[in-house]
Amino acid sequence: MSRAEVGPPHGVRLMTFPILVENVLQSLMAGLLVGAIYGLMCVGLALIFGIMRVINFAQGDFMMLGMYVAYFFFAALGVQPLFGSIFGPYVAAFLAAPVLFGVGYFAHQFLISRVSGTRTAQLDGEGHYAQLILTLGIALILQNASQMIFGSMVVSVRTPLSSTAWIIGPLWGDFIEIFVNKARAIAAIVSLLVIAGLALVIGGTRLGKALRASADDPTAATYIGIDVNFAHRIAFALGISITALAGGLLAPNYPFHPFVGLEYVIIMYAGVVLGGLGSIIGAFWGGMTIGIVQQMSALVLPTQLQNSAIFVFFLLIVLLRPQGLFGRVTERT
Amino acid sequence: MLEIAGISAGYSSVPVLRDVSITVAEGQFVSVVGPNGAGKSTLFRTISGILKPSAGAIRFEGNDLLALPASRRAHLGIAHVPEGRHVFPSLTVMENLELGAFTEAGRQNWKTNIDRILGLFPVLSERRRQFAGTLSGGEQQMLAIGRGLASSPKLLMLDEPSMGLAPTIADFIFDQLTEIRRQTRLTILLVEQRVAEALQTADHGYVLEAGRVVLEGDNQTLRANDRIRAAYLGM
Ligand SMILES: Nc1ncnc2c1ncn2[C@@H]1O[C@H](COP(=O)(O)OP(=O)(O)OP(=O)(O)O)[C@@H](O)[C@H]1O
Ligand SMILES: [Mg+2]
Repeated sequence: MSRAEVGPPHGVRLMTFPILVENVLQSLMAGLLVGAIYGLMCVGLALIFGIMRVINFAQGDFMMLGMYVAYFFFAALGVQPLFGSIFGPYVAAFLAAPVLFGVGYFAHQFLISRVSGTRTAQLDGEGHYAQLILTLGIALILQNASQMIFGSMVVSVRTPLSSTAWIIGPLWGDFIEIFVNKARAIAAIVSLLVIAGLALVIGGTRLGKALRASADDPTAATYIGIDVNFAHRIAFALGISITALAGGLLAPNYPFHPFVGLEYVIIMYAGVVLGGLGSIIGAFWGGMTIGIVQQMSALVLPTQLQNSAIFVFFLLIVLLRPQGLFGRVTERT
Repeated sequence: MLEIAGISAGYSSVPVLRDVSITVAEGQFVSVVGPNGAGKSTLFRTISGILKPSAGAIRFEGNDLLALPASRRAHLGIAHVPEGRHVFPSLTVMENLELGAFTEAGRQNWKTNIDRILGLFPVLSERRRQFAGTLSGGEQQMLAIGRGLASSPKLLMLDEPSMGLAPTIADFIFDQLTEIRRQTRLTILLVEQRVAEALQTADHGYVLEAGRVVLEGDNQTLRANDRIRAAYLGM
């Protein structure tokens, strides 16, 4: 902004056009990169909330746990010495995912299954009230236990990639250069690959079809021989581990602490609802949209208002398109 | 093949079935008829394992069904086409049929079965990529039956396949059931409100009223029974 050459009247600061374009493109790039990771995060929740219709308030806290697990794999359990600081963070994130799969599996077996799946038919509101209270409790336990164990200091996974960038340009003569943070770019690409893989599994495999059938009609799924409670358990564990992977991918760029889950769980629910419940790819686009809105709003709003921008946008969409931006209308009988 | 002995079952507050015994022999077509609320669907849910009976025993080909979780019963060869169809609405027609073949037997005989199913219900072939939730009622019923057949069942249980359908569609579905029987000698247990049709095609029939079997017999016996004639056949 300081490079503004023409002094506009009334003291309004104005950018020259190329700089404006550069700023917009820079924000768009930042939005695309963080949006891809948000997308992955949302896909994890979409499996649980969008498809299985289980309300999980602890999703952000399981993600926080995934970030710490990745952090400890990286810093304490030999991943950094073995794989170095460049590949290490990604190896750590991919190691955290199966650990959190296990955590999700047992959390479902011992807690969530009591208020979801085939049991919910007899409960008020399909068990949603019970799920709300139970997962809120899990969230509080995870937050406070993490604080006791890990302390409340902010930590991050340190890699040189998070402070270096590729530069696109100069474009348009010499005017425009866009910086692409390496760590964010790699995290975004990994996210896209994981989502593509997951979409293939959910869309095309026996497991994926069984999961969708269990979500659509648990009773009929039982009639055709699907163990619906087990299918729900797999979906829950998979959803937790996918979100945890997204957490591990965020860890190099976004320092975290035991209470970081709340910030992300809100983004996740907004993304899943935006994308249209029940759709994996929709959830990805929902997360992507939120990343872009968040980063673009930084052009015109102070940082503290970025999340408000997300919710103003979210409210607008919910008002105008209740089935979500990318949702389709199929009746659920 | 299926022996139901002295079953009592119901929902948390309401007992529905009382001491119901029904036998289906291999290759037989057995119909269960009775008024609304008699407990016909409850009987089917008990066989499928969604409901646990409070007394009695169910054996299928010598296996004690009650010792098995509901989701294992399809794998033994029992296909339940439920009342109200219950297709998977957000899955395509083809995916619904593929999921029917979730059983080992279904996977092994997929090629033969899918040809037969699409032969019986050609409309499913036209709509294979359509979401099942967007099908008409009649098409959904055909899909539900197709999904049941795709599992390569030994016993096909049909709960009111004509419910809510126009008479011509219902007739078509009955014709195709007869055709399946002709092709495969598949054992069928049918619950039906259309008593005349149900008894006409059946080898054996049961009349269920207020949770009890009040009458049973072969086709001739039942159709000759005065009560049946008056109450169900309007003669
Ligand atoms: N989920 C349930 N909870 C409590 N009671 C139920 C439930 N389902 C059915 N019932 C009751 O059980 C009784 C038998 O119902 P069922 O559905 O077995 O009858 P049906 O013979 O299939 O009737 P229809 O011909 O109308 O389908 C009815 O009185 C019904 O109200
Ligand atoms: Mg019924």
